[in-house]
Amino acid sequence: MMFALIAILPLIIAAFLALLFRNNGSLVKYAAFAASVASLMLIIYLYLSISGWSSLQGFQWFSLGSISFNISIATAPINMFLLLLVGIMTPLIFLYSIGFMDTQSQQARFYFEMSIFAAAMMLFAISASLITMFIAWEMLGITSYLLIGFWYWKEKPPAAARKAITTILIGDMLMLAGILFIGVTYGTFEFSALFSAAPTPALDAALLLILLAAFTKSAQFPFHEWLPDAMEGPTPVSAFLHSSTMVKAGVFLIAVLFPLYVSAGLLPVILIFGLISAILGVSNALAERHIKKILAYSTIEDLGLMFVALGLGSLLGAMLLFFVQTFYKGLLFMGAGSLMRANDEREDIFTNYSSATNKLIFIPIVIGALSMAGVFPLSGVFGKSAIAGVAEDTNVLAYAVIVLLGLGSSIYIFRWLFIPMSKPFKNEKQVEVNYRTIPKTMIAAAIILAILVIAAPIFNTYPSLLTLELSSGSPIPISEMAEVSVIALVGLAIAYRVYRQGHQLHVASANRPLYIAFYNSIIVNGFYMYLTKAVAIAADGLGYFDLKLDKLTYSASSAMLSVGSALRKIVNGQTNVYVAAFVIGIVLLLALFIW
Amino acid sequence: MVPFIGILLALLSFGVVATMFSSEKTSKTLASVFSLLALVVVVAAFFYMAQTGSMNYTENYSYYIMQPSISLGFQFSPISFVLVLMASIVSFVTLLSGNVENESRKISSILILLFELAAIGLFTSGNLFLLFIFWDVGVISLFFMIYILGSSNRRRAAVKFLIYELFASLALLFAIMLVYFYTPLHSFDIQYIIANAGLISLPVQALIFSSFFIAFLINMPVFPVHLWLPDAHTEASTQGSMLLSGILTKFGGYGMILTFFMMPIAAHFEVPIAILAGFSAIYAVFVLMTQHDIKRIIAYSTIVEMGIILVAIASFNQFGISGAAYGMLAHGLTIAMLFLAAGSIGHMFAERDIRNLRGVVRNALSTSYTFLAGVFATTGVPLTAAFIADVLIFIGAIKTFSIYGAIPLAALLLLGAFLYYVVNKSILSTSEYSSNPRFIGRSQKAGYAILLSSIFIFGVLPFLLLNFFSNI
Repeated sequence: MMFALIAILPLIIAAFLALLFRNNGSLVKYAAFAASVASLMLIIYLYLSISGWSSLQGFQWFSLGSISFNISIATAPINMFLLLLVGIMTPLIFLYSIGFMDTQSQQARFYFEMSIFAAAMMLFAISASLITMFIAWEMLGITSYLLIGFWYWKEKPPAAARKAITTILIGDMLMLAGILFIGVTYGTFEFSALFSAAPTPALDAALLLILLAAFTKSAQFPFHEWLPDAMEGPTPVSAFLHSSTMVKAGVFLIAVLFPLYVSAGLLPVILIFGLISAILGVSNALAERHIKKILAYSTIEDLGLMFVALGLGSLLGAMLLFFVQTFYKGLLFMGAGSLMRANDEREDIFTNYSSATNKLIFIPIVIGALSMAGVFPLSGVFGKSAIAGVAEDTNVLAYAVIVLLGLGSSIYIFRWLFIPMSKPFKNEKQVEVNYRTIPKTMIAAAIILAILVIAAPIFNTYPSLLTLELSSGSPIPISEMAEVSVIALVGLAIAYRVYRQGHQLHVASANRPLYIAFYNSIIVNGFYMYLTKAVAIAADGLGYFDLKLDKLTYSASSAMLSVGSALRKIVNGQTNVYVAAFVIGIVLLLALFIW
Repeated sequence: MVPFIGILLALLSFGVVATMFSSEKTSKTLASVFSLLALVVVVAAFFYMAQTGSMNYTENYSYYIMQPSISLGFQFSPISFVLVLMASIVSFVTLLSGNVENESRKISSILILLFELAAIGLFTSGNLFLLFIFWDVGVISLFFMIYILGSSNRRRAAVKFLIYELFASLALLFAIMLVYFYTPLHSFDIQYIIANAGLISLPVQALIFSSFFIAFLINMPVFPVHLWLPDAHTEASTQGSMLLSGILTKFGGYGMILTFFMMPIAAHFEVPIAILAGFSAIYAVFVLMTQHDIKRIIAYSTIVEMGIILVAIASFNQFGISGAAYGMLAHGLTIAMLFLAAGSIGHMFAERDIRNLRGVVRNALSTSYTFLAGVFATTGVPLTAAFIADVLIFIGAIKTFSIYGAIPLAALLLLGAFLYYVVNKSILSTSEYSSNPRFIGRSQKAGYAILLSSIFIFGVLPFLLLNFFSNI
């Protein structure tokens, strides 16, 4: 009945194996890889065997009163689409990890967390009720916290992990509130029931909360700053996190609930925040020097563009970019990982040396960069041109911004590519040796991804794979693709002129104010620092009050004591005082009687 | 019909006496065995009731006092059973592994068994007279627990605790007396009061209600009468803290639920009580942020959680009450685990200040993981019991207070954010780290395992207990 859940099972088993055999690193890593392949096989089998697309299955988890809490899964096209993407990426990431994590300790912990992470994303892909979705959503958050902070003995990873989990926690609470508003209003958590439900103000509020939660997960303004910091995790984690899991969850959730957002009229909100995030992503990527953080800001841009597409009402455009971004971003991260490994884990692109001599590493990176910039016929162009095409038809302002962003993203990705190349290689024999000793599994994973980047357009032409229940699924015009490609090539030319020919230092130093305007993540981080300070000041105030309250109870008790000692003075054993008191008492009593 | 409650109470009473006559060496084992037997009886009772399909079940023994007629009546309701289950698990773990410091085993074992007896008696008592007796037995045994076994400042904290709790007892006694005199048949019986308290005139009801309310408010505790809790927890031994937060605060929660059932007038005060409780939760989380002692931080988190539970009780619908009961189950288990971990950290590193603790994970792996799991469980991550509780609590709150019911989530958010900060600051490390002079034994790890697996069992299989909540 719940056949799709079986696809997740191998990964869960792998996770438990990692727990059991935690001292046997090599067993654990091959078991995890085998499990990921097994689940890919199961997913492919599912694909081929499912005839009724939008079948919905579920069982009751528990119920109380009128509300039933179900674990429901759906195998609608959009669900299977993400399930397949995660299914394809998981073995590749695990393959890459076999090489990458080879010299690192604590393999068992790594594969345990990664398996749960992948399983959570698969569950998220096929969840059909808010409760099921929320379970997967939180599991993603927790495991990403553990993975980002994987190297907890280093200085930066714990801080990065905390930043991530705190942002995600904000989203979780907003999401929980949104889900429960819906549950209370409609008495159900099923997506299918929500689509046919009558809209209410509670639903609108809940949708807004869920949208904000999606922004935290997908690293959109104003919650985007955790993502660049999350680069402190191991590179396979970054590659996984940015390509198919975690950050895609937010976009995907909005895509699944898209009809509700259309009818609630929240599309302009999505559009505006998507545009802001994309602009911030591009500008920071242009100014950043950290090899992985540039890619992180680029992910913010990509996700922003997906939200822009959703905001413009084009589910197909968003999902196309979603699809192609998976491969090129995974590929670029794998390349960055190889580059850092050869350069003794140096992270600054200005001090790194490129892999140009090692063609097996270099060519996949170039393919990834070209695809990202949007050069025809690599897959990236399909996503970008679909979005640009929709914008051109509906919103000219958004279209202009998107064109500029396209140019910017082409410049920063070639800057990323060219700066390590622009240094003479002569005195760095060690780096060259390092490049030669990069594990084959790392290279193999990148090559497979490069092939997928080239081959992805084939998938796009199969409507059965991407039938997103859309009537507006018209083919992308060639002119649009040409336009995107030309912009990308212009960007390439500029980047070549500026960075490949060694002018990069002038650019950075000559335009100091411009640099700060671009590198605005400092401002965003500063804002959060002040927010934390404000909370701390409030906490200090209330903490002081709490102490004073405690003191107050003590002074109440000492007041009691002083009353006691005052009274004690009367009871002093002097007979004349007692007699006097006795007489007064008798007189008063008599007076009372006579009255 | 098996008299489960009678067996439980007899077993524990016998256990207390037997432990008294045992030697210092064997006392801990003996007490643990009795506590384990009690847990087995509770589980057996669960399976029995699962077969009959109902958790409403009473046991009546001979009259305790003929005039006024007070019977030895006991009852299980779904709410009380959940709390009995929690109390027996937490007490067993406290006995088994709470004595991290490994001192005064005999006296602590006796007191813990006595407290378990009191807790189970209180949650199952069928009339207010017995409830009051068990209440005071529980308070007194914990008073000695703090007074004898705590850290250097313990005496002051113990007396403070006793004064607050005695004040609560006084209010409770006053309320019980008023109930007795104003119900038509002059009865202490809880079921009878629930059925007939509507006949009491409104001003008297208001008086009774506020008296009950103050008593349970102090015990839960909620702002502004929470001040005994941080001191008592900080100064108590690990075992004392586990019992205080895990079980004693639930006396108040259980009593508050009973009060809402007994006094129809409570419906008038739902909104102000919820505002007070929500404020208390948010207030406590801000105060928590200024604390440095890891045990004090966890102690304040109890105030946060109990505030949220009071919001649920105040919403007084099926979801709110079930959520409050389930929340007390989840919180009892989680907080006991956190205190056990914090106590172990304090014992191992001879340091509980988060500013001085560094890189605990290097030398105390299982304790660190347990602490982290406790943080997850506190923030209500799915598959832990707290998630089920939070879902039910906030459904209840939103049903009664509309969207304002979701506001206490902000307290949970801040609590989680700060706990992650604590994890970063003390558990994970930069290059420097605290060295540990001492190690913890196997029994502590067993305690972590029992509590952690209970948290997951009730988080993954909530229907085991929630099926019985369908008709409250």
